[in-house]
Amino acid sequence: MTPTIALGRRALREAIRQPDALLMTMFIPLFFLIVNTGQAAKIFPTKSTGFLEGQSYGAFQLPITLLLAASFGMAAVFLVEEIEAGYFDKLRAIPIPRYSIVLGRLVAEGVKGILLSSVIVLLALPFGISIASGVLGFVLLVALSALWGIVYAGFMQLVALKTRSAAAVNAGGLIFFPLLFLTPNFVPRDLLTRPMEIAATINPVTYLMEALRSLILDDLVWSKIWPGFAVVAVFGAIMLVLNVRVIQHYD
Amino acid sequence: MQVNRMGGPAVLAEGLAKRYTGREGTVEAVRGVDLEVRAGEIFGFLGPNGAGKSTTVRMLTTLLTITSGRAEVAGVDVATDPDGARRKIGVALQEAGLDKRQTARELLVMHGRLFGLDGPGAKERADELLTLVDLEDAADRVIKGYSGGMERRLDLAAALVHEPEVLFLDEPTTGLDPASRLTIWDEMRRINGRGTTVFLTTQYLEEADQLCERLAIIDGGLIVREGTPQELKADLRQRRGGGDEPTLQDVFLDATGRTRQRAAGEVQEVAA
Repeated sequence: MTPTIALGRRALREAIRQPDALLMTMFIPLFFLIVNTGQAAKIFPTKSTGFLEGQSYGAFQLPITLLLAASFGMAAVFLVEEIEAGYFDKLRAIPIPRYSIVLGRLVAEGVKGILLSSVIVLLALPFGISIASGVLGFVLLVALSALWGIVYAGFMQLVALKTRSAAAVNAGGLIFFPLLFLTPNFVPRDLLTRPMEIAATINPVTYLMEALRSLILDDLVWSKIWPGFAVVAVFGAIMLVLNVRVIQHYD
Repeated sequence: MQVNRMGGPAVLAEGLAKRYTGREGTVEAVRGVDLEVRAGEIFGFLGPNGAGKSTTVRMLTTLLTITSGRAEVAGVDVATDPDGARRKIGVALQEAGLDKRQTARELLVMHGRLFGLDGPGAKERADELLTLVDLEDAADRVIKGYSGGMERRLDLAAALVHEPEVLFLDEPTTGLDPASRLTIWDEMRRINGRGTTVFLTTQYLEEADQLCERLAIIDGGLIVREGTPQELKADLRQRRGGGDEPTLQDVFLDATGRTRQRAAGEVQEVAA
């Protein structure tokens, strides 16, 4: 067993033993799904709203729920707790590659992301939301959500390693909210006002959201799907390099 | 007595220094420490708060980069071969550093795996260590519910998973009640009896007097006294011109300039 897998298994056990944190990760995104759909569903009826592709407004909102759930990972919170308590130093004193300490947590975030996204999508199905892209689309949907969870956890771990402060980690988590709302989260991009459209176009989260939305509403439209995977690939690589660099030089 | 593969000292530091540079200027936490710890001994490392004890230990255990000078543990240079050094050392730092969401057994098995043991080997080693530190009954309970003494014992066990040649203990009994402290002392003696060199940092002079064959006192980032407790007491008595046998506390206060009746002159750096 590699150190990364051993530490990933530990992080999963840790998550299982903190069920309240897992429940909140599910509850808040589902709360937003219900509230946003409840508020705007009448404005966008299925029959007369072309961009819904015959589905309910809930299907249009589901990507936001998935992105929110993927962005509520606790990896950085647990990491900063470990730094403050001294266990992080104990791990650093073991002859393992130091990057495995951060990668172990990211692997666990990936597994959690797969499970959480699958549960959220399965919970949405009885409410008339379907995955138009089929089984492969479902797999891609879950994979993209989980990959984003890893990228975001990587960013938060970076904050934890640089600041070594629980307060900074909590504040860092708020960064995602402006990015989430500077997207076509309520209507497609071409219906946004011009300033919002420009902001959404330069916001990488937009492409992630549009890829997820495409997998829910359309058949497999690769031109909409690949930009989402490109975003996680680019930001994932950046986060990976920075995480490894910071932990290698951690003093 | 255990001797490392080089047949040399268990710990060697030469001109070890750590300097921090920040917005408020440069702080010299450790200013050139020379130390030699013999294989198989319990070596005490004493000093007042902020003297540079923990910084020195963190450099020796590869947790902190060295600004200048060099250090070896069990014949391995900590700066040029940190992973080699990590294989030789066990570390239990201030405040038992444990993942409190795991059980003791899970934690020890995982540490075993991280040190390269296979599954059955890691489980077997965890069982041995749980017996050694008398935690078999609590082995499958989450660590969060442990007492301070139990946590320290488990921390010791985690530091011993790979049978290190040198065990660094940074204030292992701070905050413990007297009974728990005595238990940790017994563990230390038992571990040392198996041939492991113990590098003990402590603020408790009685602890150093009871356990350590030799000790060094650090103050202001420099070693100011080094020797056996008896040698240090005899030296002070001689400088005082006789009288009652000084205690280790007298030696400490004299060495760190924190007594009103300092024997003589300024604190001198003592080369190892």
